[in-house]
Amino acid sequence: MSRVIVRIPMPLRSLTAGAEELAVEGATVGKALACLGATYPGVLARILTPEGQIRSFVNIYLGQENVHAIEGLDTALPEGSVLSIIPAVAGGSEPKAKERRLMDLRGRIDQITPAEAFALQQRGVALIDVREQDEIAQGSPPGAHRLGRGFLELRIEEAAPDLEHPLLVMCNGGVRSLFAAEDLIRLGYRDVRSVSGGFTRWRNEGLPVEAPRSLDHDARERYSRHIMMPEVGEAGQLKLLSSKVLLIGAGGLGSPAALYLAAAGIGTLGIVDHDVVDRSNLQRQILHTDARVGTLKVDSARAALTALNPAVTVQPQARRLDRHNVEETLNGYDVVVDGSDNFATRYLINDACVKLGLPNVHGAVFRFEGQVSVFWPADARFQGPCYRCVYPEPPPPELAPSCAEAGVLGVLPGVVGLLQAVETVKLLLGIGMPLIGRMLYYEALAARFSELKLSRDRNCRYCGEGTAFPGYADYEELCHGASA
Amino acid sequence: MAIIKLPESMRNRIAAAVTAGYPHETCGLLIGRQGVRAVEVLDSLQAANLNQERPGDRYELDPKAMLAADRDARSRGLEIVGVWHSHPDHPAEPSETDREAAWEGWSYLIVSVARDGINAIRSWRLDGGQFYEEDMAL
Repeated sequence: MSRVIVRIPMPLRSLTAGAEELAVEGATVGKALACLGATYPGVLARILTPEGQIRSFVNIYLGQENVHAIEGLDTALPEGSVLSIIPAVAGGSEPKAKERRLMDLRGRIDQITPAEAFALQQRGVALIDVREQDEIAQGSPPGAHRLGRGFLELRIEEAAPDLEHPLLVMCNGGVRSLFAAEDLIRLGYRDVRSVSGGFTRWRNEGLPVEAPRSLDHDARERYSRHIMMPEVGEAGQLKLLSSKVLLIGAGGLGSPAALYLAAAGIGTLGIVDHDVVDRSNLQRQILHTDARVGTLKVDSARAALTALNPAVTVQPQARRLDRHNVEETLNGYDVVVDGSDNFATRYLINDACVKLGLPNVHGAVFRFEGQVSVFWPADARFQGPCYRCVYPEPPPPELAPSCAEAGVLGVLPGVVGLLQAVETVKLLLGIGMPLIGRMLYYEALAARFSELKLSRDRNCRYCGEGTAFPGYADYEELCHGASA
Repeated sequence: MAIIKLPESMRNRIAAAVTAGYPHETCGLLIGRQGVRAVEVLDSLQAANLNQERPGDRYELDPKAMLAADRDARSRGLEIVGVWHSHPDHPAEPSETDREAAWEGWSYLIVSVARDGINAIRSWRLDGGQFYEEDMAL
């Protein structure tokens, strides 16, 4: 018979009249507890089952040792032992359907470490990053296909056309990638592996990371109708946002072109025009307003474009183009949109574009007729003509009156300027068939479009093969005051 | 209604442990003094979650940690007054699993945690097989 101390945890003290420790007698754990139970039967019922076994949610410690690991209730007690009753503490949130599914998926889908994934990626295996845009903005493995989870099934075949090739799927922690992998297997991919620990572990293990450019929330909303078309997509929209387009003239052609290009999210729009807004412009030049009559057209244009899309950088250049400033004005832009109103400027723009290798999106209107083309001899794919191949010399002035002299249907430059804008966006995105080597000719009264084939002049003084740039001409002299 | 006095420093310590442990459940003990109407938390410690199978939604506090904590608390004239544990992506309310395993006489502090931080901290006490929420004071 040994005298031992039993320590009572707080949850049981209501059954021991508040006592924290009780002295009992017994040679074994079982006998000591029976002694305790003789005085406080309620306590014993909480510790032992009706069959006399220690309950599963109670641990009894002799000193530092769980009696369960010794001889249970038969464990011998030396004199002066201390027994501690330790309630098991457990619990947890409700079992989630998610957990059950994940256990199932973990059993079925191959998981690999980030290092293994990286090694496979180096050997040409496609790595699919299925995280959300805001997560990808924080970084992503270089060369990963950032398809997101939402459009995964719709876009995967562009990234990985062969169902027999292995695919590596990555998310942030390795859970979502399991679900994604299952979807891809269902789609028919034979070998899909999930990167265990996801991008978090990838980064923690020091594997390469790049921070891809991506659209912010506002931009994604604004350009959603672009982004949903695979021909544009987020990559295309990012391309537009980093593009620079120079509009020559903020007049009849430049107005609609500039407005739609700003709306489309062309990141930088340069506008060259030395003129001020005149009330007679407002019949067609929709960048301007009655209130802005008398102000510089480039300032009026900036007000209109910034109001439409504040994210666009407008670069106003209130100057008349001449051979001395043309190159510095055009330099740095990706596309030039010619909306000028006189032949001297058209030849000057053509010559500078040929020299700088820039595409020149040409538009012209006259009374009820308009024409559009893209002059870009530097483009190796189409090897189209320049403006001079088509019009080696300006027409005599009497055959080429200006709008001021001959008039123009106000809506007409809207049609033509927008066709220029369409061609500009196509060029920037690199999609579709550009209007190179062709001229679209629009007759408003007949309501008829026709297409003229334009050929390159191999002997053109400006863009002919092996021709050195002959220098800028005296354009006023060349055109004798003729207007476009 | 019972009152639990949880100083801000304790609250912050538990919140930090819970956030660091996400997405797994974390658990630990509350050390302090049990009064007639209020329980006063003066210290807290984290214990290992022995549940390896489902650490995302189950916890099983290491009894060895409890034994040591009990000894240490008593030596300082304090005692174990409750248990804290986290509910990752789940409200700070006791589940049926919690209720089945709970003991009367202790406070059960539950911390709801999500990927981006703590959602809520609430404390509960079992009485007659039912959980009742405790008032929380600093």
